[in-house]
Amino acid sequence: MMPLVSIRQLTLEAATTRGAAHILRGIDLDIGRRRIVGVVGESGSGKSSLAACLVRLLPANLSRIDGEIVFDGTDLLGLSEAAMNAYRGTRIAMIFQDPMTALNPLFTIGTHLVDVLRRRHPGLARKVATARAIAMLRRVGIADASLRFSSYPHQLSGGMRQRVLIAMALLVEPDLLLADEPTTALDATVEAQIVALLEELRHGFAGSIVFISHQLGLVAQLCDDLCVMYGGTVVETGPVADVLGAPRHPYTRALLACELDDDAAGGHLVSIPGDVPDPVSAHVACVFAPRCPHATNACRSSVPALRDAGPGRRAACMRMEELG
Amino acid sequence: MSATGEALVEFDGVSVVFEGQVRALDDVTLAIRKGEIVGLVGESGSGKSTLCRILVGLTPPSSGTVNVGGLPVHRQLAQDPLAFRRRAQMLLQDAVASLSPRMTIGRALEEPIAIHKLPRGQTLEQLASILRRLGLPQDVMAKFPHQISGGQARRVGVARALLMRPEIVVADEPTAGLDVSVQGELLNLLLDLQQEFGLTYLLVSHNLNVIRRVTGRTAVMYLGQIVEAAATRDLFAAPAHPYTAALLSTNPAVDPRKRHKPIVLQGEIPSAVNPPTGCRFHTRCPVAQARCASEPPALVEIEAGRQVRCHFPFSLLKSGSDA
Repeated sequence: MMPLVSIRQLTLEAATTRGAAHILRGIDLDIGRRRIVGVVGESGSGKSSLAACLVRLLPANLSRIDGEIVFDGTDLLGLSEAAMNAYRGTRIAMIFQDPMTALNPLFTIGTHLVDVLRRRHPGLARKVATARAIAMLRRVGIADASLRFSSYPHQLSGGMRQRVLIAMALLVEPDLLLADEPTTALDATVEAQIVALLEELRHGFAGSIVFISHQLGLVAQLCDDLCVMYGGTVVETGPVADVLGAPRHPYTRALLACELDDDAAGGHLVSIPGDVPDPVSAHVACVFAPRCPHATNACRSSVPALRDAGPGRRAACMRMEELG
Repeated sequence: MSATGEALVEFDGVSVVFEGQVRALDDVTLAIRKGEIVGLVGESGSGKSTLCRILVGLTPPSSGTVNVGGLPVHRQLAQDPLAFRRRAQMLLQDAVASLSPRMTIGRALEEPIAIHKLPRGQTLEQLASILRRLGLPQDVMAKFPHQISGGQARRVGVARALLMRPEIVVADEPTAGLDVSVQGELLNLLLDLQQEFGLTYLLVSHNLNVIRRVTGRTAVMYLGQIVEAAATRDLFAAPAHPYTAALLSTNPAVDPRKRHKPIVLQGEIPSAVNPPTGCRFHTRCPVAQARCASEPPALVEIEAGRQVRCHFPFSLLKSGSDA
C-alpha cells in the first residue's frame, strides 16, 4: 500500500545574518497509513520544522524550500496558499505543545469545538455539531462535559485543556494528525493520563499520527515507527522496537546510551561529547561525524545516503555494515 | 557520596502560609546530612520551590524552624546575612534568565566579589581555576548572555555559586531544557565538584532517571507535604506511598522488557487553598479507605531510614502486583 505521506529530499533554509541556516538538509521519510510515527531528536535537529512543513506553517525568514511532500498523491509544496488552506483543519490537524496558549481565551470550549467541526463539515447543523462536540469531550475523559462545553479556557486545568485540544483534533477526523510534544507542558501524573488516553483513542482512529518528542521512552511506548533526526537530517528510521532494540546508526546508539533508565547506580553518566552542528555550516559530510567515535576521513568528506538497513529500516551511516 | 552522620540542614515542622490561606508547605520535617545528595520530586504546586527558597533564606517559614549548620536560618540572616548567603547557594532553573542581559559574564561573576568584599586578587585566581575546571573558555568573560549557549550559561551559574565556597547548593531543575546528550556532562560535573569541594546538594528534578542515578536519598512531595522520604535505591525498588508508586510508574522505559503498566491517577493535584480533608492524597488514591478521608496520616518512620505519610503503606504496590 502507498504510504499516506512521502517526503523526498525536503530542504529548508532560512536567511540569517551569518548566512543561510540549513534547517532541513534533504529529508526522506514515509508515513504509513494508520501508523504512529515517532520523531525524536534534540533541539535544533529539525523535528518541529518537519511538522511545520507538513502543514506549511513556515517561518517568514525562509529563503529556500525544495523537495516534495506527497500527501495522498498531491505535492503539498506545489499547492497555492488557498489550496493548502483547504487541507488544514480538515485532512491535516495539529495538537500543539502548549495547551495554555493554543486556545483563544475569549471563546468558550464549545465555540472552539463547534468551529472546527463546522469547518470540516460546512453544512452541519449547530445542534448536531454541539451534540457531537459534547460526546467527544466525554470520550477524551472530561467529566461534566456539557458544563465544560460552556467554560472558558482559563477555567480549565492544563490537563483538561490538553484533552480539549485532542478532542478538537479528533473531531476533524484528519488523515494526518501532527502532535508536537503534546505532553511536555504537563505534570508527570497528568502526562500519564494523556498518554493512556492517546493509547486508548488510537484504536478508533483511522488516520496516521506524527508524534514529536524528545522522550525516547514515551515514543517506545506509543509509536509503531521511529524516525531519529540529527542536525536537520534523518539518520535512522524503522519499526520502533527494531530500531531501539538494535540501532544501526551511531547517533541512535549514543542517544540510547544517554538514557538513564538502567539500574546501574554510580559511575559516570554518559554524554555525547561535542556540540550539535552549526546550522550555517555547509552540508558536505556526515552531520554526526564531528561527535562520532567511529568517524573516518570518508565520513568527514562525503554525505552518507539514507539506505536500507534491514526490513523496513533505513540508516544514514557509511560504516553500518562494519560496525554491526 | 560520603555522607557523614552530622545533619547540615534540618527542617522541623516547617509550614508556609501565603496570604493567610495558601498552605504552600505543611509540617515539613527533613534532615540533610553533610556530603549527601538529596533529591526532591513532586509535581507543580507540591511545594518543592518553596522548600528551596526557605533553605536559602528567600522565604521565611510561617511556623517551624530551619537550621543550617546547627543554627536557625533566620538568626544567621539577622546577624550576618552575607555570611549565610555564601553558605547556602542556589542554582536557578532558568540559567539564561538569571544573568542580566546588560552585563558581561565577567561583570556578573565579579559582582559578588565586591558585594561580599572578598579578597579580589585571590578570588579572581580561584574564578579562573573554576572556569577552567568547568571547561569554560576564558573569553566567555567578555561576552554577553545572549552570545553564549544554554549549556555555557548553566556552567556560569555553577561558577557563580561555587565562587562563594558554599556548604550547601540547592539545584532547582539543573538539567531542565538540556538535551540528553549534554545532561550527563552537567551531572558528572556536579558530582565531581561535590567530591572536590565537599558539597552537599538538594537537587530538585522532574526527571526521575536523574534522581535515581545521582541522589542518595529522595523526598517525595505532594500538595505541600513530604509524603515519603527514603534511600533512593529503596524508594525506587519498592515505593511505600501510593503517590510515590504512581509517580514512579509514569516513567516510561525505553527497553520493553523493563516496561510496566503505569498507574494512571484520576484528576489533578487539588488546590492548596482548599486541600482535601484527611490524607491530602485520598481524592486521587486508588487504594484509599474510609479512614483516609477523615484522619490525616502523620509522617512516620516505618522502617530504618524510610518515612511515610500513609495509613496503609505499600498497599498500592501489593494491589498492583496482584492485578
